[in-house]
Parts: sequence; C-alpha cells; structure tokens
Amino acid sequence: MSVIVLCAALFSIGLYGVLTRREVVAVLACAEVMLGAATVQAMAFAAGRPDAAQGQALGVVLVALAAAEAAVGLAVVVAVARSSGRSRVEDLTEVRG
Amino acid sequence: MSLVAFAVPAALALIGAVATVFARDVMRMALGLGAFLLGVAGLYLWEGMSFLAAAQVFVYVGGVLVLVLFALDVVRRDPSGRPGTGSRHDLTAAVAAVGTFLLLANGLRDVPVGAPVGSGADRVATALLGPFVWQFEAVGLLLLVALAAVVAVMARGARR
Repeated sequence: MSVIVLCAALFSIGLYGVLTRREVVAVLACAEVMLGAATVQAMAFAAGRPDAAQGQALGVVLVALAAAEAAVGLAVVVAVARSSGRSRVEDLTEVRG
Repeated sequence: MSLVAFAVPAALALIGAVATVFARDVMRMALGLGAFLLGVAGLYLWEGMSFLAAAQVFVYVGGVLVLVLFALDVVRRDPSGRPGTGSRHDLTAAVAAVGTFLLLANGLRDVPVGAPVGSGADRVATALLGPFVWQFEAVGLLLLVALAAVVAVMARGARR
C-alpha cells in the first residue's frame, strides 16, 4: 500500500514539473521522474509474484526505452540550443499547428 | 530492517523528485535528479530486483545524468532568461497533479502487492533470452535507431 502511495506521489510531482517548468532540459528531467515512478510501481506489482524475474526483464526493457528517449530528447535540445540559442519551451514553436 | 530498506530510498526519491521539480538552479535540479535515480535504485533493491538496481545505477546515474549535465552546460549559455519555474498555469498544473495523485492512489489501492520473492540475474537472463527474446531484440534495434538519430540530429545542428 505504501509503495502505491509513494509512486503516485512521485508521478504527480513529476507531472507538476512537466506542466510548470519552462526549461526544456528540466521538462525532460521531470519526465524521467514520471517514468521512474511508473517503473517502480510496475516492479512493485511484479515483485511479489512467483515469476518476478519476468517482471524484472520488463523493467530492463523499460530502462533501455527511457535511456533512448532521454538521449534523443537531449540531442534535440542541444541541437536547437546550438543553432538558435533557445532552450525554453515557449520559444520552440516551429511545429505548432 | 525492511521498513528502513523501504523508507530510506523512498525518502531519497521523494526529496530528489521535489528538488528536480522545484529547484531554480539547474545544477541543483541535476543533483535532485541524481538523488531521485539513486532512490529508485534503492527501491528496486527493496523489491528484490538487484539486477535492475544495478542497471538503473549504470544506465541512469552513469549515463543519463551525465547527458543531462552535458546538455545543461550547452543550454545554460542561453541569454533569453534564467531558468526556473514561474508559469501562469501553476494552479491548473497543481490541480492536475493532485487529481492524478488521488486517481492513482485510489485506483491502484486494491491491487495486491506481495512481499518480494527476489529474483537473481540468472533468472532475468533466462526470461530475456526465453519468452522475452523478441522484446529484447526490439529494444536492441531501438537503441541502435536512437543512436543513429542522435548522430543525425547533432550532425544537422552542426551544419547550420
């Protein structure tokens, strides 16, 4: 029960950060907090089952996915910052409809 | 002992998450993210998932955090304004966050969370190379594509 409340709190804190931070790198960091909270929650559900190793294998897949997401996201941020000097979410409007 | 093994990483993760979201200085934000990631690794240990805890430390604390610090070094030269919070939508975001917390905490309340049984690296390897082999291969392909994408994005940024 306590781990459920903890992960819900961590996810909500990360969500608040994604919605309020203006720096793109900070938004990505807050998204990592959300992703970490969700993974800990999934692993908590898997940990008590007899096939916990399969849950842990899923966790390894999630860690790899999150690492790929962070690498591509940060590369885009660095490329934009190098070419235009901007790194705040309100400045990045090229793909707005 | 079990309570301490849960409470210490849980407190570290909470403090780190709060620092990541609310720190005005970006270096403190990065430190908070590091504390959060270490706390998450500790929670994996508490759940009996030692292999995942080690992977978390290697990939996140050793890889992603260094990437974040590198990105901050490039981005901090941005003269358009100091980083930090200060959105007009803070109240809406707070309502959304509290609502999400209540929804998650109530919705998942009845899902059983058993005592951790523990699972070593050998059983994880058996799972990854057995029933999850296609997912394992797909993630390997995804990492390769991500690597190529990062190189392409950076090369394009350098040409401009």
